[in-house]
Amino acid sequence: MKKNLARRALGHGATYLVLLAAALLTLAPFTVSVLTSLTSPRQLAQQGPLHLPAPPTLESFSTLLSSVDGFVTPVAVTVQMVAVILVGQIVFSVLAAYAFAHLRFPGRDLLFWVFVATLMVPQVVVVVPLYLMLSEAGLRNTFWALVLPFVLGSPYAIFLLRENFRQMPSELMDAMRIDGAGTLRLLWNLVVPLNRPIIVTLVLITVVTHWNSFMWPMVITSGPEWRTITVATSALQSQYSSNWTLVMAGTTLAMLPLMLLMIVFQKQITRSVGGTGLR
Amino acid sequence: MRPRRSLLGWMLVAPATIGVACFLILPVLLALGVSFFDWDLLGTRDFVGLENYRSLLADGALLNSLLVTAVFTLLSVPLSLALGLILATQLVRALPGSAVVRVIVVIPWVCAPLALGVVWTWIFQPSTGALNTLLGIRVEWLTDPTLALPAVAFVAIWQNVGYISLFFQAGLGRIPDSIYEAARLDGAGPFQTLRHMTIPLLRPTTFFLAITQVVASFQVFDMVYALTGGGPRHRTEVIASLVYHEAFQNSHLGRASAVAVILFLLLVVITVVQQRWFSSRITYDMS
Repeated sequence: MKKNLARRALGHGATYLVLLAAALLTLAPFTVSVLTSLTSPRQLAQQGPLHLPAPPTLESFSTLLSSVDGFVTPVAVTVQMVAVILVGQIVFSVLAAYAFAHLRFPGRDLLFWVFVATLMVPQVVVVVPLYLMLSEAGLRNTFWALVLPFVLGSPYAIFLLRENFRQMPSELMDAMRIDGAGTLRLLWNLVVPLNRPIIVTLVLITVVTHWNSFMWPMVITSGPEWRTITVATSALQSQYSSNWTLVMAGTTLAMLPLMLLMIVFQKQITRSVGGTGLR
Repeated sequence: MRPRRSLLGWMLVAPATIGVACFLILPVLLALGVSFFDWDLLGTRDFVGLENYRSLLADGALLNSLLVTAVFTLLSVPLSLALGLILATQLVRALPGSAVVRVIVVIPWVCAPLALGVVWTWIFQPSTGALNTLLGIRVEWLTDPTLALPAVAFVAIWQNVGYISLFFQAGLGRIPDSIYEAARLDGAGPFQTLRHMTIPLLRPTTFFLAITQVVASFQVFDMVYALTGGGPRHRTEVIASLVYHEAFQNSHLGRASAVAVILFLLLVVITVVQQRWFSSRITYDMS
């Protein structure tokens, strides 16, 4: 009995060691980013990166938020871009997924197969031709260029939603149809509420993906007007490569909103990701 | 009634179909077309046949990028899967406090790889960075030709382990306790249990993760861009970096498209081969 207890204590100790190491290693870079951003450039030059800011200063953040090519415009652009893409993707993906799951029309299965096949197309492959197409259309360095390729729905979202919609009993929908409900009302009053968990998951995934997207916004925009927050962070790194307090204020601002989102929606994120097999 | 239902179906899928056709299928075809041209950002375009493919092979740029990407994948994917599994086995014990750790380790996954790359660039700075200051050494992590790629792979592993552990936690949760009870009664130790039971039973999860992680690591760009920009001496120039440099810095859209076409074909082959390889091995039905 005693031996058993000792072994269990040892086992728990080992587990806690692994968990502690994982937590510390994960948090260390964020801590460095935040601490550096709160340090004055003078203190950083004198004492190096491992000292607590004394006193903490918001100097870097106020520089970043007040200067002309600062972070106010990129934050506004990113918020608008994510909002437009989010609404478009969810609405058009729900419509298409419902049709694929519950309506019969000629060509449906072939079309769905094409959608699934496009899941294999990586962003890197389409970035050059998309650049040519949107430049040709005169949309380079505009808001529309940021959202247009993504706003009409995503094959991935459609695939996931269809799987979920198929599990709904069609008797329920037939009953509602007999009551004379139109398709849009049916979707809004029945399909969407019944599938809330997967839709919330998709909303989170879409926000994270497009808030963080970098290659396309960098390629299609130029100058500070339509820069997203990742492009602005990258520009900050190349412009002020020795001014690390300012650069770390930028990375902190770029990461903070999603970290907060993650903490607020931790249950949905940790549960849904492991369960549905996302991304 | 029937024609009306068909029309409704087509109307509902129309926006998404237009999106997929214009912004995924058409660009892939266009990439294939452009790859046969000498095409620059100013609009010059001359048909050159397979010249872009030939020159990419001849000057070694393509082989270098393929090799760099393969090494990056071999360094990062197996290690992040192994570490993710170890972390998951400890998290599912659900000891007090582990719920907090479960959330912490997923934080890097929601952060922009670009921003994380910039933070790690600062940590890796040779004379002023946190890592060398802490260790009291002066190593050029990102500018030494032999260290740069492992350093990039390390950051990728750091970002992915927690996210991967989520899938393994879900997989472990689906293994019934009764199987472990039986193993314990038969006198199996913890390592025997892990090797002969847990790992085989997790094969579907491992299969899914292996495919998605390999495919993702063949497309890595943002993090490399922030950390090294493809240098030193092209030692971290992954395929996506090569596409970007050829297209938007050297103004060789034709060559960039040729690289993109090869990447696409490669990903299709990888997916099919992995599918074959894993499905030919035994999987256990636990339902």
